[in-house]
Amino acid sequence: MYKKTATSLMERLALPLLAIGALLTTGGFIMAFTTAPLVLGAGVPTPALIGDQMVANKLLFSQKIFYFHVPVALVSFIALGFTAIYGLLFLTRHDPAFDLRAKVATEIAMVFILMTMASGEMWTRYEWGVWWTWEPRLTTYFILLLLTIGYFVLRAAVEDPERRARYAAVFGIIAFVDAPVSLLVTRLVPTSIHPVVFRSDSGLPAPMLLPFLLALFGMCMVAFGLYHFRLREQVLHQRIDALKSQLED
Amino acid sequence: MTNRPSAIRQFAVLFVKDLRQESHTRDMLTSMGLYSLLVLVIFGAALSQSTIKSNIIQISGGLVWAMLVFTSLLGLNRSFAAEKEDAGLDGILLIPLDRSVIYLAKTASNLVFLLIVEVLACPLFYFFFLADYPLTTSLWLVVPPLFFVSLGIAGVGTLLATITSGTRGKDVLLAILFIPVIFPLLFAVVSATSVAVMGSEQLLSVYVPALALAAGYDVIMISLSWLLYGFVVTN
Repeated sequence: MYKKTATSLMERLALPLLAIGALLTTGGFIMAFTTAPLVLGAGVPTPALIGDQMVANKLLFSQKIFYFHVPVALVSFIALGFTAIYGLLFLTRHDPAFDLRAKVATEIAMVFILMTMASGEMWTRYEWGVWWTWEPRLTTYFILLLLTIGYFVLRAAVEDPERRARYAAVFGIIAFVDAPVSLLVTRLVPTSIHPVVFRSDSGLPAPMLLPFLLALFGMCMVAFGLYHFRLREQVLHQRIDALKSQLED
Repeated sequence: MTNRPSAIRQFAVLFVKDLRQESHTRDMLTSMGLYSLLVLVIFGAALSQSTIKSNIIQISGGLVWAMLVFTSLLGLNRSFAAEKEDAGLDGILLIPLDRSVIYLAKTASNLVFLLIVEVLACPLFYFFFLADYPLTTSLWLVVPPLFFVSLGIAGVGTLLATITSGTRGKDVLLAILFIPVIFPLLFAVVSATSVAVMGSEQLLSVYVPALALAAGYDVIMISLSWLLYGFVVTN
């Protein structure tokens, strides 16, 4: 099923990109802790950039989470987008290779969602004083995690590979559309229990923007590298399975 | 040209088939109706020790939706049980008709059953939990959210139930897929229903955007499900 393909440009890029990504993110984090200024609650020109919200009138050291949390969260959305794109490609071309790519992209999405939630927990605990609250961002992100879990449970429940691929593709597309809708819904419809305070002004001073961008691009490269290594591992795995079954015959 | 029936005719035949089947067996309506009654009994037990009586109006919007989501989950599972047991769906697929017609017919029948159960269950909820309290004049506003959610639940639920009907452990799987997908709709209508029941001053500022988002969700999800349905029922 999986022919030995010539090493594509993408695959050759995987290792260098992973390494560069690791360097960039590390550099970004170091800068975040050294050169980037602490955020001064309302005193800073751009308070909106504190990860999510709720700026207190003090030096926010915990805001450093922003340089990790936000890039990781953005990458998880991008990865989920690839799940939907590969799902769509599978449904139109019927090539099982696209299904495998959709699956690996979802795995990457799940890893990054978990990292986002883990780092978000630290912020929630230290700035808001609680481990969990049904705040719109948290809630929608939790839904995103449940959608990816659902994706893998669905895959595990179908035996026939062709049907599994079709079902997973359809659900991947639905899940990707559902994510922004649920983000929108919780932000536009505040409940009476949770008044939502969002600031919309943006713009970051250069010493903060640089480490953020480094971490963002670095994280994209790390995700790309991880994706390709996982994909290669899966392809090799399938080839071994095919060889094994040939030997048995 | 052949004298093949039009899409509307095909839709009507499939839709009437579901209604007729239900009128013979009463399978879905009985199980959904009883299930919603049982959820109400559980609410009664769960709230019996609490002293939040004065807050029941505030949480009733959420409770009604908890009941309806679980009830609709049961109904969606049942709606494909019959098709699978007698290979009914396989038979329908042998007919040369557009897959989206099957989707629309199944969605319509699920919507009808869900609305019937809501007409029975919501007054019961009122009778058990709200009868002692004065009603707000805006109570009739709970009707539009009921309709929008039922539409969304039937729409995306029919697609997901078709997917899970052919898998192992289908009942649990449908819940795992259905509840996160339906979440935006649920969030929007719980706030719409709550403000309608409470009749607070911020009625319009919350109610209108919530309902608009619910309607938007319905449009997006139903058109997406309608487009994707063909991929789910091939073979």
